[in-house]
Amino acid sequence: MAQADRRESTNDPARVAVTAAGVVSPLGFGLAETLESLRSARDCVTPVMRFAVTQCRCKTAGQVSDWRLLASYGQIPRSRRLHRASHMMIQALQELVTQQPEFEPELTVIGATSGGMSYGERYYRSLTGAGDLRHAPTWIANYPAQKPVTDAQTACGISAPCYVIANACASGTNAIGHAFECVRSGRYQRVLAGGYDALAEMVFLGFDSLQASTPEKCRPFDRHRSGMVLGEGAAVLALENLDSARARGASVLAEIIGYGISTDNFHITQPEPSGIGARQAMERALESAHVSAADIDYINAHGTATVFNDAAEGKAISALFNGVPVSSTKSMMGHSLGAAGSIEAVVCLLALQHQFLPANINFTTPDDGVDLNIVGNEPRSAVVDVALSNSFGFGGTNASVLMRKLEA
Amino acid sequence: MSLAIVGMGWVTPLGTCIDSVWERLLQGDEASATTISEEFADRVYSVFRVPDSALKGISHPRLRRASAISRFAAAAGLHALESAGVKLESQNAERIALIFATSNGGVCYTKRFYHEIVSTGVQAASPLLFPETVFNAPASHLAAMLGMTGATYTLVGDGAVGLAAITMAEELMANESLDYCLVVGTEEIDWLLCDAYRRWRFLRLAPPIEPFSNQNRGMILSEGAGAIVLARDGLVTIERAPPGGYFNRRAEAETILRRILGDLSQIEIDFVISSANGTFVDHAESQTLQELVPNALVYTGKPALGESGGAGGLWQIILAAQALHSKELPPVLHADESVRLRLSLSRTPVPSVRRAIVLGCGLNQQTAGLRLAVL
Repeated sequence: MAQADRRESTNDPARVAVTAAGVVSPLGFGLAETLESLRSARDCVTPVMRFAVTQCRCKTAGQVSDWRLLASYGQIPRSRRLHRASHMMIQALQELVTQQPEFEPELTVIGATSGGMSYGERYYRSLTGAGDLRHAPTWIANYPAQKPVTDAQTACGISAPCYVIANACASGTNAIGHAFECVRSGRYQRVLAGGYDALAEMVFLGFDSLQASTPEKCRPFDRHRSGMVLGEGAAVLALENLDSARARGASVLAEIIGYGISTDNFHITQPEPSGIGARQAMERALESAHVSAADIDYINAHGTATVFNDAAEGKAISALFNGVPVSSTKSMMGHSLGAAGSIEAVVCLLALQHQFLPANINFTTPDDGVDLNIVGNEPRSAVVDVALSNSFGFGGTNASVLMRKLEA
Repeated sequence: MSLAIVGMGWVTPLGTCIDSVWERLLQGDEASATTISEEFADRVYSVFRVPDSALKGISHPRLRRASAISRFAAAAGLHALESAGVKLESQNAERIALIFATSNGGVCYTKRFYHEIVSTGVQAASPLLFPETVFNAPASHLAAMLGMTGATYTLVGDGAVGLAAITMAEELMANESLDYCLVVGTEEIDWLLCDAYRRWRFLRLAPPIEPFSNQNRGMILSEGAGAIVLARDGLVTIERAPPGGYFNRRAEAETILRRILGDLSQIEIDFVISSANGTFVDHAESQTLQELVPNALVYTGKPALGESGGAGGLWQIILAAQALHSKELPPVLHADESVRLRLSLSRTPVPSVRRAIVLGCGLNQQTAGLRLAVL
C-alpha cells in the first residue's frame, strides 16, 4: 500500500547503502574467510568429482564444500530434500541476517542461471535409464530457479516477493543493479539482492563443448589465456535507503552509486569484438553515478579468461580508464555464472572496506592487445574509494555497478 | 505512476490475431488438444499446441536455429510493437526496455542437448544447442532482431511471473530515460514438462480443464507467447501493480492472495481475470474472490487456452484489456455452475466497465496481481 505514496514522495534520488552481506563461494563461507582467501591470493579451483569429466577438455572448477553445506541441514523442514543451491543461499542469507537482524526487505531480486539443474539431470537420467523415480516429485519441486530463493527466505523468516533474473552470466550484477534502481527511485526502502548458482553437469559440458573452458589454469587477461573454469556459490547484499539506514543506526558497509546495463546484439555467445557493449555498460554506470572514469580506483573485471571476452573487455576498459588497477577474481574461484556478479560485488565491498586490490592470479604475460594495469598474482594495499564491477553474459547482456566507500 | 498498454500481440493455440482470437473466445471456442509422446516412454499426454500457420512470415537469421519458444516470443513481440506503432531506430534503441517472463525456458533444446550426452556420451554435447538452452536466449534473439541496445531482462518464475514482469516494468519506467517497455511472456511444450507436471500431480491426461471444481483434476499445458508494450499514456492503464508475494505451503496461498486482492480491491472492481487452471490454485482464488470481491464477474481463459506459465500471465492481461475495451467477457468453459462465484458463464456484456483485476497464483509459490482501468 505504501509503495505508491513513497515513490512519489520525493524527486531527489535516494542514496543506496549496503548494510549487510553474506557469501558462500569457493573462497570460503562468509565474509571473513572470503577476505582471508583474497588476502592470500588463494587458488580455490579443484578437480571436479561431482560428475564424470574424464572426457572433457576441462577437469576443474571452483567448488563449494558439501560437508560445510550440511551445516544448514535440519534448520528448516525437509532440508535434506533441498538442492545444494538452496543450502548455499540459506547460508549466505543467514550471514546477512546475523549482521542486520532488523533488515526486512520489501523486495528480493536474485540472479541465477541454472536453478536446481542437477535435480533435473537426475530426473532425466532416471527416466531414460529406467532408474528409480520415487524421488522424482522432490527433484521436480526443487528444480525451479526461484526455489532456492524462497527456501532461503523461509529459513531466515523473510517473506518478500522475489524476482529471479536470468540474464546469463550478468544476472548477479543485473540483480544488484535493479535493486539499486528500486531503492534509488524511492519506490522501495529495503531490497535484498544477490545471486546463486550451483555446479551442474549439463552446464559444465555445455561450456566444454563450446571450448570456452580450459584444461589449464584460469589466466584472465594473460596473453596465454586459454579459457574459463566454472565455479559456484551464492551471495546476497542488503540494500537500503541510506538515510533510513542511518536513522535506525545500521552500520553501512558501502554505498552503491551507479548502475549501467547494455545489450549488444553481435552473437549469442560472443561479445562484440570492439567491446562496445561492455563500454556502454560502464559508461552508463559512470553517468548514473555522476562520476568520471578518473574517480575509479579499482575494476573487478568480468575477466572470464576466454580469448574473446578478455579482448573485448580489455579494449573497453583501456579506452575508458587510464591505468586503473584491474583484476579478475575468477582466476581464484572460477566463474559462478548467476552468482558471479553478486560474489564479485562482495569482493569489491571487501576491497573498499579493507583498502586493498584483490589479485588476478595465474598471470604471467601481459597481452599485447590491451593496455591494462593488472593486479598480477598478489593483492596490493591501496586507497580504494570507488570500485567498479563488471559482468557480461551470453546473449550480449552487459552490466556494471559502482560502489563507493562510506566513512562512518 | 501508472503505465498504459499501447500495444499487444499474442501467439496462442487459438491463433495469433488479437481480435480474431478474442472473437473465438467470446464464441466459446477452445483450443484443440493434440497428443505428445516420447520415444523412451509409453505415456502420452494431451496438450494445446500453436498451429504451424501461426508463425508464417516470422523469419530472421537469428531464428534459423532457434527453438519454438524464441519464435513465439518474436512473433508476439513484433505484433505488439506494430500495434503500438513503435519503430526501433538507432536513435531510440536504448530508450525501449525488454522484459521476458518464462517458467521453463527453452526446454526442448535443453532436453535434446542433455539427451545426446546421456545417450551417446560427453563428446556429443552440441555447441550449437547449448546457447539455446540458456534462459535468456529468446530475449537475446528478439533484442537482436529489433536492434535494442538498452535494458534487457529475463525473469524466471512460475505462472505469476508474467504479472511480476509488469511490476518490474513499472520499476524500470520510473527512469525517464525509457519511453517504452516491451514485456513478453513465452513458453514452449515438451513431453518432459508434461511428465514432470504429472508427477507433481498438477496435470490432467486429457481435456477439459475444469476451473473452480472441487476435484482439482488438473491442467492441460499449452504453448505460445503474449506481449504488451507499455508507455506512460494510453486508454487502458495498469493502475496498480504491487509486488506480489510467495507462499511456503499451498495452504498459505489463500492468505497471500487475500493480501494482494485486498490491496487491489479498495475501489470498485467490475471483473477479475483469474488464473484458475484446475489445480489447488482454483480453491485459493475462489475463497479469496468470494470474500473480497463477491460482486465482481470472474473469468478464466485457461480452459480455452491451456496453462502456459510465463505466457499465461501476459494472456490474462491481454484478456483484461480486451474486455475493458470491448465491454464484453467470454464464457468460462467447463465450469461447475454451483461454484459460489459470479462466473461469466456465457458471453456477457459489461457496458459500464471501468476496472479489472488480473490475479496470478503460480504452482511454485509465487503470487501476483494487477489492477487495470480504462479511461
